Amino acid sequence: MIDTLLAIARKDLIMFFRYPINAVFRIVEPIMWLTPAFFLGRGFSVDGTATGFAAYTGTGDFFSFILLGSLLGAYISAVFWGIGYSLKMEMDSGVLESNWMTPVPRLAFLVGRTLTSLVVTTLNCTGVLLASWLLFGFSAGGPVSKAMLITLPMLAGLYGFGFAFAGLVLLMRDANTLVDVSSFLVGELSGRGFPVTVLPRALMVISLVLPTTYGFDAVRALLLGTKPLLPLGVAAVVLVGFMVAMLVLGGMAFSAIERVCRARGTLGMH
Amino acid sequence: MNERQDAVVVVGLRKVFERRARRGLLRRAQGEVKTLSAVDGIDFLVKRGEIFGLLGPNGAGKTTTIKMLCTLLSPTSGTARVAGHDVVREAAKVRSSLGTVLTGERSVYWKLTGRENLRYYAALYRIPRRKARERIAELLERLELAGRADELVEKYSSGMKQRLALARALLPSPPILLLDEPTVGLDPQAARNLRQTIFDLKAGGKTVLLTTHYMAEADELCDRIAIIDQGRIIALDSPAALKEGLGAKEVVRLEIQGEPNGLGDALRALALVESVAVRPSVNGAGTCELQVITSNSRRSIGPIIESVRAAGHEVVHFQVVQPTLEDVFIRLTGKSLRD
Ligand SMILES: Nc1ncnc2c1ncn2[C@@H]1O[C@H](COP(=O)(O)OP(=O)(O)OP(=O)(O)O)[C@@H](O)[C@H]1O
Ligand SMILES: [Mg+2]
Repeated sequence: MIDTLLAIARKDLIMFFRYPINAVFRIVEPIMWLTPAFFLGRGFSVDGTATGFAAYTGTGDFFSFILLGSLLGAYISAVFWGIGYSLKMEMDSGVLESNWMTPVPRLAFLVGRTLTSLVVTTLNCTGVLLASWLLFGFSAGGPVSKAMLITLPMLAGLYGFGFAFAGLVLLMRDANTLVDVSSFLVGELSGRGFPVTVLPRALMVISLVLPTTYGFDAVRALLLGTKPLLPLGVAAVVLVGFMVAMLVLGGMAFSAIERVCRARGTLGMH
Repeated sequence: MNERQDAVVVVGLRKVFERRARRGLLRRAQGEVKTLSAVDGIDFLVKRGEIFGLLGPNGAGKTTTIKMLCTLLSPTSGTARVAGHDVVREAAKVRSSLGTVLTGERSVYWKLTGRENLRYYAALYRIPRRKARERIAELLERLELAGRADELVEKYSSGMKQRLALARALLPSPPILLLDEPTVGLDPQAARNLRQTIFDLKAGGKTVLLTTHYMAEADELCDRIAIIDQGRIIALDSPAALKEGLGAKEVVRLEIQGEPNGLGDALRALALVESVAVRPSVNGAGTCELQVITSNSRRSIGPIIESVRAAGHEVVHFQVVQPTLEDVFIRLTGKSLRD
């Protein structure tokens, strides 16, 4: 089984690195987006501290706040685009059927792809971190290993959710908009680009329902010393719960939708 | 697989699709769920080691049948067994015993090389790495892809992509192959080569179930043929027996000038004429083709020509031929396969 999963991941990696320029741009692009945040943060700062921002969050380091958000946010887009949308692309190009004709359980294709997605996204994030350190002098001010530990259940939960989402995307004729909008909304409402405490009440409720919000929040609390929404222990419990629930429900939802596709015959063209 | 078992056994197989009509942009029209029986209760049996053809026009239900056999579609009712395994209850076993090529060209990754594709699929079929390497080299050689195996598939010709898809299907050495319209889109030479490959597979002991809408191809390739139309099998036999089914009959093909208004009925009324089919000529020169099946052409040619002349038509072309599968199809359905 492991061999099969590795083969699936390997195939995706080969295609990803087939055009090395793309791989490089995956790192250059986030830096491009982050640069304005760096100068914006500076513009609001007095003696290196953005005081208004500090009042909301407990840290005056605006840039680092945004940087961590966009790193974690990268995994959200990876789930929506890399798991959901790319399955749909395989369907449209016709290879989904040849994959699903093999004896490999159909969920395994998603798990294999998750491996690639994790590797590629983590490589990207490492590149962006490195560049931020070189260009903007970023450095973590807290226990990095603890922060990584708390992201693990969040990522597992996200990918579990991705399985259900991939199923949903298979049912749609044109999935581009759905993927784009939901990826954006989940990212923003998890606090990718701003502290969720600034949100108006109605939106904040949605934001606080998303378990990812607590993941973003905990990582920032650990590394930047922001005021956490929940005590770290509680956040960890929430994220582990999210992981278990999503891995089980996501897998089940995907299998159910796969059965629907088999009945409707919507996997290929006709 | 048991020695005496048949390769594929299909009993009362049906597939009903729901078609939701849409009104406006988003609203789903109420109560307008139409159903379509794409496969409408078919029975057939493929013997081990034979080439069996499903022959039928567009939309007959050929692909739907193949997809149910390779577990991509679930049947609405009926059963199908492949290599002794039920396609619903033992799907994984069915998938291990089958090599299937659906839309050949599109069933491989264009951004990978031929060899990378095969290596990937070999892993999915759990072929150990060493063995896979040998098998891949052998298949690439056999399907004449060895020279270009390390080029991206997007650079391949249609024929090469089709052969790569076949190599993919052959990877696990499956006893049974399902090929959906294997030669569609290929130039005549490539199609001929592929037919030869299919013969070779049969010689190697494989069972082949293929679909086609080319009469001549079915005639040439298949040991037995099921003619399928609108989801039903309307005849099933060897090509020779199907043609003999028309009796000691001959086919008179006529091309005439103008619209054959009422001429068909006039011809049917003639003695010795068994059936008449009319269709507009393909070359669009304002002519029509008549296909007249007669039990004795020598004695009926005269009256046929007279009737055509009497109706005011000019005979552009005239031919007496032995019946082909096309004639069998026309006889059975009253329409031509090409329409
Ligand atoms: N998933 C689907 N949903 C609804 N209708 C479908 C679906 N798949 C096939 N059909 C319909 O079922 C009928 C049979 O289709 P099928 O693809 O099996 O025909 P075919 O014999 O393979 O024809 P062709 O020569 O065009 O490939 C067609 O009318 C087709 O439109
Ligand atoms: Mg078809």
